[in-house]
Amino acid sequence: MIVIEKLKRIYNQGGLEVNAVNNIDLKISDGEFTAVVGPSGSGKTTLLNCIGGLDNPTSGKVIIDNEVISSYSSDEMIKFRLNNIGFVFQAYNLIPVLTAKENIEMIMLMQGYNKQDMDVRSRELLNEVGMGKMGERRPSQLSGGQQQRVAVARALASKPKFILADEPTANLDSKSTAKLLDIMSRLNKQENITFVFSTHDQRVIDRARRVITIEDGKILKDIKK
Amino acid sequence: MNLITLIKIGWRNIWRNKKRSVVVILSIILGLYGGLIIVSLMTTLNHQRMDTAINTYLADIQIHNKNYSNEYSIIDTIPNVQDLEEILKNDSRVKAFSKRAVINGMLSNSTGSYGVNVLGIHPDNEIKVTKVYSKMVEGEYFVSKRPNTMIVGKKLADKLNLKIRSKVVIAFQDTNGDITSLLYRIEGIFRSGNSMFDDYNVFVKNNSIFSNLPDLNGYHEIPILTTHNDITKSLKFDLQQINDSIDVKSWDDIAVELAYANKMMSSFLYIFMLIVLSGLSFGIINTMLMAVLERKKEIGMLMSIGMTKIYIFLMICFETVFLSLVSIPFALLITYFTVDYFSVVGIDLSVVASGLENFGVGSMFYLKLPSEYYINLSMLVIFISFISSIFPAIRALKINPAEATKSI
Repeated sequence: MIVIEKLKRIYNQGGLEVNAVNNIDLKISDGEFTAVVGPSGSGKTTLLNCIGGLDNPTSGKVIIDNEVISSYSSDEMIKFRLNNIGFVFQAYNLIPVLTAKENIEMIMLMQGYNKQDMDVRSRELLNEVGMGKMGERRPSQLSGGQQQRVAVARALASKPKFILADEPTANLDSKSTAKLLDIMSRLNKQENITFVFSTHDQRVIDRARRVITIEDGKILKDIKK
Repeated sequence: MNLITLIKIGWRNIWRNKKRSVVVILSIILGLYGGLIIVSLMTTLNHQRMDTAINTYLADIQIHNKNYSNEYSIIDTIPNVQDLEEILKNDSRVKAFSKRAVINGMLSNSTGSYGVNVLGIHPDNEIKVTKVYSKMVEGEYFVSKRPNTMIVGKKLADKLNLKIRSKVVIAFQDTNGDITSLLYRIEGIFRSGNSMFDDYNVFVKNNSIFSNLPDLNGYHEIPILTTHNDITKSLKFDLQQINDSIDVKSWDDIAVELAYANKMMSSFLYIFMLIVLSGLSFGIINTMLMAVLERKKEIGMLMSIGMTKIYIFLMICFETVFLSLVSIPFALLITYFTVDYFSVVGIDLSVVASGLENFGVGSMFYLKLPSEYYINLSMLVIFISFISSIFPAIRALKINPAEATKSI
């Protein structure tokens, strides 16, 4: 479970203080399929960065499975991210010099998997995201949708407690979006993986089972479907 | 995470921007090639200088009377020469040896006088040890049956306006301390490639000395040529054990300045290469900084998903070192072929021949480059590349993953 207590993140932009996240309290239970929505600059990305340990809150706490990760050191946080959080980025951010399969295996290598286990799991994950036959292709040989599916497989490779996805469909056409959402929805239901999205995309919002609307760093609405 | 994956990523990364990598690789190749060729030229210069000295007058080892080395007196001849000769003839390490009667005197003709070192030799034996016979530019090398003929250096000949068949007089102190004069006729003029030697040394047949100085009954110098450079030290040691009254010196004991120049040159060349490669390192740093900034997002992503700082650091280091590892074999190969070609054909530097002669070398350069330089300079390039990678790697570590990925 993700618990956020009185989370504040204040940026200093040209001498002006910007409350990107302003005193937010939030609980996200295991197995949720949650979309964080809001206009640009509303603070949804900052909120996700704080949850993912990529940004340090100015005050407040981020607690994941009873561990206060907001107090972790940089090295502790790297280790925590590796073993507990999967990331899906808007721009896919696959390593262009590695094949799809190697991109997925990369995270397992960091976790110390042996070669055989890594091979089995990466093939499983590629099959799960419908990319079973494209494992040897490099990112440049894949479409945007295919790359994002590989990115999802990569995020799943470390067997994370939850996946944070920032605008995962922003660069995809409707067909690829639908396919990606199908995959993520299936993984959420079948494997009880928690997904937290930040998005503008109505198609994602429609599929989410909880929609948190943020504006000016505060939660405006929190609707569970 | 294992190193093989990092190595794989590093290797593939250098080919992501082929043009840029090729430019850096070419600059490393040219830098290393240029450096190695300069090193080769300097090494050749030094070796040829030593070879000229050894082949012209020094030989590998010289034996003197212990006292001769202090005062260069005509009476300090080598004791028990016959015994020494027997030993030298039977030692397999000795390729050849000769015997010289050496006199310091004043050479005069109608043009003027000049202090010289007269080397009284037996021509048939001397040609086995030193190569002055092959450096004749005028006249002959003791072909005449006359006993009192002389071979002089080109520089001395020019100074005293000596021609073939010119007459000269040598005045020196004999064994009784009296001034004695001997008349000689110039038979040949040599150009050894060392103008200082040519300026100061003349060769005569030793019979011409002995017949005019009946009290002189020995030799002052035995130059020895060894079968191989490596055994010079051991032979010198063994010869010194024979007799306490002789002084055995290797060429580097006699020509200390040559030996020192050799050692100094080696250190100088490494410093020179360090400077050349340090200049090159700025190019490498610049390229790697561009590569890091270009891949900010990717590095940010790697940090986000849990790649530790040390792996990020190593990834950049591997990439930089790979650039040099790709370059080194090409640089070494073209250097090898260049050196190999010019070691046979030679480089004609006759346009600066007089300057080179003053330095003690001839005008033809036959390149050589000891294998240690290939290895050591390659290691130096790898080291410099590693050092060059540190700054870009530190820049990579400073990337904020949240900013780099623009979102999570």
